[in-house]
Amino acid sequence: MLVVTKPGLQATLQGAPRLGYRHFGIPYSGAADALSLALANRLVGNSATMTALEITFGGFEADIAADCTVAVTGAIDRILISGQSAPAHTTLHLKAGDCIAISPVIRGCRTYLAVSTGFQAEEAFGSTSTYLPAQLGGLNGRALKAGDRLKSVGSPVWTETLETPKSHRPVFSNALALRACASAETDLLDEADRKCLFEETFFAGRQATRMGVALIGRTLSPNSDGQMKSAPVFPGTIQCPPSGTPVVLLCDAQTTGGYPRIAHIARCDQHLLGQIRPGDQIRLLERSPDDALRDYAEKRKLLDAWLMP
Amino acid sequence: MPARLIPTRIADDVFELQVRTPGEAQSLAAVLREVAPAEDVVAGLDRVAIRFHPSRAHQVERALRDVTAENKTTPGTAPPIEIGISYGGENGPDLTSVCEALNLSTDAFIASHTQRVHTVEMIGFTPGFSYISGLPEEFSVPRLASPRPRVPAGSVGVSTRFTGIYALHGPGGWPLIGKTDAKLFRANDKNPFLLTPGQRVKFRAL
Repeated sequence: MLVVTKPGLQATLQGAPRLGYRHFGIPYSGAADALSLALANRLVGNSATMTALEITFGGFEADIAADCTVAVTGAIDRILISGQSAPAHTTLHLKAGDCIAISPVIRGCRTYLAVSTGFQAEEAFGSTSTYLPAQLGGLNGRALKAGDRLKSVGSPVWTETLETPKSHRPVFSNALALRACASAETDLLDEADRKCLFEETFFAGRQATRMGVALIGRTLSPNSDGQMKSAPVFPGTIQCPPSGTPVVLLCDAQTTGGYPRIAHIARCDQHLLGQIRPGDQIRLLERSPDDALRDYAEKRKLLDAWLMP
Repeated sequence: MPARLIPTRIADDVFELQVRTPGEAQSLAAVLREVAPAEDVVAGLDRVAIRFHPSRAHQVERALRDVTAENKTTPGTAPPIEIGISYGGENGPDLTSVCEALNLSTDAFIASHTQRVHTVEMIGFTPGFSYISGLPEEFSVPRLASPRPRVPAGSVGVSTRFTGIYALHGPGGWPLIGKTDAKLFRANDKNPFLLTPGQRVKFRAL
């Protein structure tokens, strides 16, 4: 139904997180930006976590082998359908013989392409999401290559045409402010380091993977002897190894780790982690856990009006 | 009567309980998986984290009120599983520095590592990565200051008296002492994990 001709830097099939297997060391995976995935799925009549394409830095092209209904969200520069500009955040009805091209992106990092009824993918440990390190889910657990043929689960044609309301379209910039809570080992930071963590600007490191992103800035010195016992970590955890450069963990986050957990990105802003690109400016805004949950409820309410009508 | 545990909030959507031993952590996590309306319950070596959906904060907090720390795991009785390790050299690039830090010859280190019976305490980090206890107190080695971006699958590391086996290729922060051919994770097997908590292990030098 869709044949990949250029996968770009890394394109994978991603859907729901692989919940409930962390005690076997199996990470969540799933869309790095779960909100953009949900928005794409909404436009093609799917539920929020159906399997879609996650494209990294754009530069993706595919031939359409059969009529299908798709939508593109997340980081966008230009979308071309057989050479003609097409809108993001809009249901697109493609015909057999069309080709779709997603240009390289300059803001944000990941683009989502959903098809009506979702893409077929292998299920492993309760999810179809691709986890590359262990080759789980997706298409043979690997990133997509030119020539890969993707099929939809059911009929890929949907007759409705929707647009994400303007007020619900995330805007990506090269400067992000992320709400964050203190975590289990924040107290290992002295007053000056703690102030730095929650008030100064960091830059995203060069290796922005689905596992984690380094926060480059003034280095921190948690009062730790490097002998901490390995403890649970999650997407959103900010660890600080002895090098003093904190690392924020993303959707493919390891399940346990032994570096001090100095902060945790609030649930309401975790979807933004998937859009951090190397060099982006990042500031953490400290919230109490209860305030952060209120922020989540507020954001959820706003989004659900569109996502779950 | 075991003491009640006081939950710490380590994120807006995560509670954590501190316990004393890996066995207590495993037992408590198993109980919490039954009683707490959580999205995920994950044991560390001396703590258990409970991640919950934001709408469930109060129910989870209530469920945590009545739990206590008790080790209900039973010591493994099955004979130890043998794991061959090729120590040092390219396979264990940190063996020399680890031995220097411990003031031991590499032979003495390998002898000590292979003579003991070790115990799998926890699976975590990445699929199949096993935390294996059994090194004596004086073998405490810190993690690397910066994790390595690429550790080959099968690499064996030591840290804080644990031996860890990297089941998959990926980043890692433990000093590496050797490598094994044993496959700790086979995604498509009925039993995907070679090791499980409680299992005893003997290492053999290849």
